[in-house]
Amino acid sequence: MLLPWLALLCLSLHVLAAKDSAREQLVQLASKNNGVVRLDEKTYDLLTSPDRDWSAAVHLTALDKRRRCNPCREFDPSWNAVAKAWSTVPRSERDNHFFATLDFDEAPTVFQKLGLASAPVVYVYPAAEGPRRPASGKLAPYKYDFSHGFDAEPLASELSRHTPVPIPYKAPVDWAKWGTFAVILVSGIITLRFISPVLQSRWTWAIGTILTSLVMQSGYMFTRIRGMPYTAGNGQWIAPGFQNQYGQETQVVAMIYGLLAISFLMLTVVAPLQKSPQRQRMQIYLWTAVNLIIFSVLVSLFRTKNRGYPFKLFL
Amino acid sequence: MAGPKASSTAARPASSSSAGDSSAIQSLWRTYNDTTPSRLKLVDCFLVFLMLSGIAQFLYCILVTNFPFNAFLAGFGSCVGQFVLTASLRAQVNPENRAEFKEVSPERAFADFALGSIVLHFFVFNFLG
Amino acid sequence: MLAYSLPSDISPSTYVNAASLVRIVALGLISAAAISSRLFAVINFESIIHEFDPWFNYRATKVLASEGFYEFWNWFDPTAWYPLGRVVGGTIYPGLMATSGVIYNLLHALNLPVDIRNICVLLAPGFSALTAWATYMFTKEMKDESAGLLAAAFIGIVPGYISRSVAGSYDNEAIAIFLLMFTFFAWIKALKTGSALFGTVAALFYFYMVAAWGGYAFITNMIPLHAFVLLLMGRYTSRLYVAYCSWYAIGTLSSMQVPFVGFQPVRTSEHMAALGIFGLLQIVAFAQLIRSHVSSKQFQDLLFVSVISAAGLGMAAMVLLTYKGWIAPWTGRFYSLWDTGYAKKYIPIIASVSEHQPTAWPSFFMDLHMLTFLFPFGVLALFRQLRDEHVFVIIYAVMGTYFAGVMVRLMLTLTPCVCVASAVGLSQLIDTFVDPREPDVEQEKEGGDAAPSKQAAKKEKNAAPITGVGAIDDIVSTLSGASSPEKDKSGKTKAGIFGLDTRMVVLFNTAAMLLFFVLHCTWVTSNAYSSPSVVLASTNPDGSQHIIDDFREAYYWLRMNTKEDAVVMSWWDYGYQIAGMADRVTLVDNNTWNNSTRLTAGCAAHIATVGKAMSSPEEIAYPILRKHDVNYVLVIFGGLIGYSGDDINKFLWMVRIAQGVWPDEIQEPNYFTPQGEYRVDDQASKAMRESLMYKMSYYRFAELFGGGQVMDRVRQQQLPKQSPTLDYLDEAFTSENWIVRIYQVKKEDSLGRDLKSANGFAQGKKRKRSKPPVKRRALA
Repeated sequence: MLLPWLALLCLSLHVLAAKDSAREQLVQLASKNNGVVRLDEKTYDLLTSPDRDWSAAVHLTALDKRRRCNPCREFDPSWNAVAKAWSTVPRSERDNHFFATLDFDEAPTVFQKLGLASAPVVYVYPAAEGPRRPASGKLAPYKYDFSHGFDAEPLASELSRHTPVPIPYKAPVDWAKWGTFAVILVSGIITLRFISPVLQSRWTWAIGTILTSLVMQSGYMFTRIRGMPYTAGNGQWIAPGFQNQYGQETQVVAMIYGLLAISFLMLTVVAPLQKSPQRQRMQIYLWTAVNLIIFSVLVSLFRTKNRGYPFKLFL
Repeated sequence: MAGPKASSTAARPASSSSAGDSSAIQSLWRTYNDTTPSRLKLVDCFLVFLMLSGIAQFLYCILVTNFPFNAFLAGFGSCVGQFVLTASLRAQVNPENRAEFKEVSPERAFADFALGSIVLHFFVFNFLG
Repeated sequence: MLAYSLPSDISPSTYVNAASLVRIVALGLISAAAISSRLFAVINFESIIHEFDPWFNYRATKVLASEGFYEFWNWFDPTAWYPLGRVVGGTIYPGLMATSGVIYNLLHALNLPVDIRNICVLLAPGFSALTAWATYMFTKEMKDESAGLLAAAFIGIVPGYISRSVAGSYDNEAIAIFLLMFTFFAWIKALKTGSALFGTVAALFYFYMVAAWGGYAFITNMIPLHAFVLLLMGRYTSRLYVAYCSWYAIGTLSSMQVPFVGFQPVRTSEHMAALGIFGLLQIVAFAQLIRSHVSSKQFQDLLFVSVISAAGLGMAAMVLLTYKGWIAPWTGRFYSLWDTGYAKKYIPIIASVSEHQPTAWPSFFMDLHMLTFLFPFGVLALFRQLRDEHVFVIIYAVMGTYFAGVMVRLMLTLTPCVCVASAVGLSQLIDTFVDPREPDVEQEKEGGDAAPSKQAAKKEKNAAPITGVGAIDDIVSTLSGASSPEKDKSGKTKAGIFGLDTRMVVLFNTAAMLLFFVLHCTWVTSNAYSSPSVVLASTNPDGSQHIIDDFREAYYWLRMNTKEDAVVMSWWDYGYQIAGMADRVTLVDNNTWNNSTRLTAGCAAHIATVGKAMSSPEEIAYPILRKHDVNYVLVIFGGLIGYSGDDINKFLWMVRIAQGVWPDEIQEPNYFTPQGEYRVDDQASKAMRESLMYKMSYYRFAELFGGGQVMDRVRQQQLPKQSPTLDYLDEAFTSENWIVRIYQVKKEDSLGRDLKSANGFAQGKKRKRSKPPVKRRALA
C-alpha cells in the first residue's frame, strides 16, 4: 500500500533532484571555464530543456581555422569577457542565467536543427518555467543582432535586458593605449627641442598639407569608415561600382595625383632654373609627356569605375 | 570679454607686490603720460568707460538676473562692439602704426569707425526687444 | 632675349585699358557660361522645382510672396507633421525665401510680372554668376587678376558646385556659396588693409549667410582658425586685430537676430572657438600695447606669464561651463564629422541620408576633374609666398579636403577652395611660359656646365632687333609688372624658359587640358546633375526619350480626388513633395535631419511611428493609422520598371528607426531570412511578408504578368504567384508605371467586426470559432 506512494515520492524527489542536478551540472561546467559553458549536443538539450527555470544566452560559432570565420574569431573575446563579468555576480542571481558557447565542430547537428548557415549567432532562451517565465508566453529565443558591431559593451547592455540583474561589465582600461600615449607625449616634448627648427620651416608644413590633401582626395576616409579591405579576395584591386573602392585604390590614386602635381611643379619651378637650354628643353618635354600619360592612366581608371564615361585620352 | 579685463586688473595687484615692479608700473604710467598724444588719451578714456560699463552689466547678469537674456546680450554686445571699434580706431590713428596701415588714413579710419558703430547699434537696437 | 616679338608702339595706358576691357568681357562670358550650363534641366524637361527639400522652400516663398513678410515670419503650418504642426517662422533659415521675395517685389515694381516659380527656379543660376564674380575678387587678392579670371571660370562650370545649383534646385546652397565666397573675400580684404569698413562688410555678409544656410558654422570656425594660426606663426599685427574684432563683434550680434539661431552663438561649442580667439586677441593686443611702453625685462616676463595664465583661465572657464552644461556640447550633426562611427550607432536618421555617406575617389574626380591634381600644386605655390591671406587658403584646403572625404555633401564646401588654389597654380604655370623674356646668357657665367657658344648662337636666331631695345624693355617691364612677382624677387632674367617650341608645347598642353575640362564638366552636368528627380527619363527601344511622370501624376490625383483636409502617410522623403504638389496634410516630412539639432522627442517618435506602421502587420498598423486620422497611405514601388530608389529598398531604415523606439516589437533580424539574406520572394521571412509595406508594394502585382513569372526588376527576384491581400486598406490609385501607389484606409466596420473577419465573411469563409460554443444543459 505504501509502495506506490513511496515510489511516487522517490520519483518526484528524483525529478526535483534531476532538475537541480541539471542546474548543478551547468553551474559546474560554467565554473570550469570562466563562466562559459562549452556545449555539445547533450548539454545543449540540457540547457534548453523545455522545463528549465533558468535563462541562457547561447553563442553559436565556428572557431576552427578551417571554417575561416573571421567574425567568429573577432566576436569570441567579447563574448568571453561578458560571460566572465557575469561570473562575478553573487551566486543566487548568477545561477539563474548561463552563458554558453557551442562550436560547430562539436555539435553540427544543433546547427542543422536550428537551420543556421552563418555564424556567429547569439540566441537568448528565456526561462520556460518558474518566476522568470516571460508574461507574454513567448518562449522563442531572442536573436541578438550585431548592428553595433562585435564590441563587448553593446553586447553586455543588450543582454542585460534578459538577465536577472544587469551584467556588471566594465570595459578594461586599455593600458597599451595609455602607455603608448604617455610615451609619445614624453618623447614628443623631448624631441621638440631638437626638431623645432624643422617644425618652424614652412616646407615641413607644406609637405604635410599636400600629403593630407592627396590622401583625403583619394578616398582614404571612405575605406576607413566602411572598413573596406585592401583588395578583394580574388586579387581584384578595383572595386566594382562608382561609390566603392578598396584600400589599394587609395594608394594608386594618391600616387597618380602626386605625380601629376610634381610634373606641374617641375614645369613651373624647376625648369626655368635650368641654365642649359638643352637640359631645360628635355625636362620640359619629359614632364609634359609624363603629365599626358599619367592623366590618360587616370582617365582610363575612371572609365573602369564609371562605365558610361565617354572620354578617353591616349590609353 | 571678462577675461582680458580680469587680466589687466590681475596683472597690477600681482606686480605691485614686489617693489621693483611697482616702480615699473610707475615708470609705465609716466611713459604713457609723456608719449601719448592727447587725442589718443581721450580715446583711451572712452575705452575705460566702456570697459567699466561692460563689467557692470556682466556683474548684474551674474548676480541679479539674466532675464531677459536678449536685452543683456544686446547691451553687453554694444559695450564690447563699441570697445573693439574704438580700439581699432585708436590703433589706426596712432602715428606709430603708420607703417602697418598703408591704405587707411586717419580720416578714413574715423569714417570706418562711424559706419561700424551705426551698423552695430542698428543690430543692438533690434535685439533689445 | 625675347622668345617672340612684341609690338613696340603701345602706350602703357592703352595696355591698361585694353586689359580691363578684356577682363570685363571675360567675366561676362564666364557668367553667361555659368548660367547657361545650369539650364539643362529646364530645356530638357520644364521649369520645375527639383528634388524634395526645394519644394518646402518653394511653398514658404509662395507664402512670403503672396502674404507678405510679416505673415511669413509668423507662419504656423498645421498641415505638416500632423497633428503636431510646425512653427515655420522659427525653424527655418529665411535668407533664401527673403532673397526671392525681394527679387519678386523688385521685378513687380518695375512692372515685369515674373511668376514666383520662375524666380525660384532661376535663382540658383543667377547667383552662380555672382559666385563666379566673388571668386574672381577673392583670387585677385591672392595673386592677381589673371588667376582671378581662371578661378571664376573654374567655379562657373565645375560640377561640384553645379550639382547643388542647377536651375530648379531651389535650396539654401544656391545663395550660400556666393555669400561664403564674398564673406571670405571681405575678410581677406579687411585683413590686408586693416580697415574696419571691410570688417563691417564681412560681418554683414556673414549675417546674410547665417540667415541663409546652416553651414555658416564653417565660416564661424574658419576665420578664428586662420587668426589663431597667424598668431602661432608670430604674425600678429594691428590689422589682424582690427579685422577680426570688427567682424566678430558685429557679426555675432547680427547672427543672433535670426530666430532659428537665437542664442546659440554664446551657448554652443561650435561657436566657442570664435569667442575664444576674440578673447585671446584682446589679451595679445593689450600685451603689445604695454610692451611698447615698457623696457624693463622683468616686467615683460611677468606680462608674458600673466598673459598665458589669463588665456589658460579663459579656456578652463569654457571647459567648466561646457562640463556643467551651460554651454551645449557639439551637436550630433557636427560631432559625426569627427567621430565617424557616431551617427550610425546613435542617430540612424542622419546615417541613412545618402548625402552623408563618405566619399570614394571617383566622386572627387567626377566633381573636380583636373582640379584634383592642380590643387596640391597650387597649394605648394601658395606656400612659396606665404602671405597672410595665403595661410587662409591653405587652412581652408586642409579642412575642406578632410570634410569632403568624410561626407559627400561637403564636397560643395571644398569646391571653391580647389578652384582658387588650382587657379593660382595654373596661372603661375601660364605666366612662366607666356613670359617672352629668355634668360640672359652672360649672367650665367657663374652657372654650371652651360655652353655659352651654343646659347649665343641660339640667341641670334631668336633675338628681337637690337635697335628697339629701350622701348621693348619698357613694354616688357609694364607687362611683367602684373605677373610673376617671384621672378622680380629672384632677379630680372635669372630664371626663364628658353625657346619658342617649349612654350608652345606647354601652352598647347594646358589649353588642351582646359578644353578637356570644359567637355567633362558639360557632360557631367547634362548627364548626372540635371535630373529633376520628380520626372524621370528613359530611352525607348527606338532611341526616343520616354518621360516617366508618375510622381506628378499621383500627386495631382491626390490633389484632385481627395478631400482638402485628407491626411496622407508616407515615408518622410516625400513629405515636402506631397505638401508642395498635392497640397495635402502629411504626417512626417524632410524636416527631420534638417532639424536634427532641435529634434524634439515628438518628432523622432513620429517618424518611428510611421516606420512601425509600415513594418508591422495590418492588424497592428491599423490602430496606429486610425489614431493619427490617416486617410491615405502612399508608397513608392519601383519593381515594375526598375526604379531602385523605392521604399522596399529603404525599408530596412524604417525598421531600424522603429526599432530604436520599440525594440521589443520590431527587430531587424526578423525581416531577414534565417540565412541572413534580404529576400522578397517566397523565401521572405514571415515578418517581411506580413508587413504593411510589403503588402502595399506587391498588392495585385502578380496580375500584371498574367500567370507567368512575376519578376521584381529591382531586387531581381521572383515573387510568388499569389499576390498578398489587404484587409484594412483599399487600393485607391496606382500610377502608370506602378511607381506611386496610394491606398485608402478603410473605416471601421459598421457592424463592429474586425475588418479581417468582415472580409472573410464577404469572401464566403466560415468564421473559425475562437471560443467553444456554450454548452447548455437543459434544466430538467
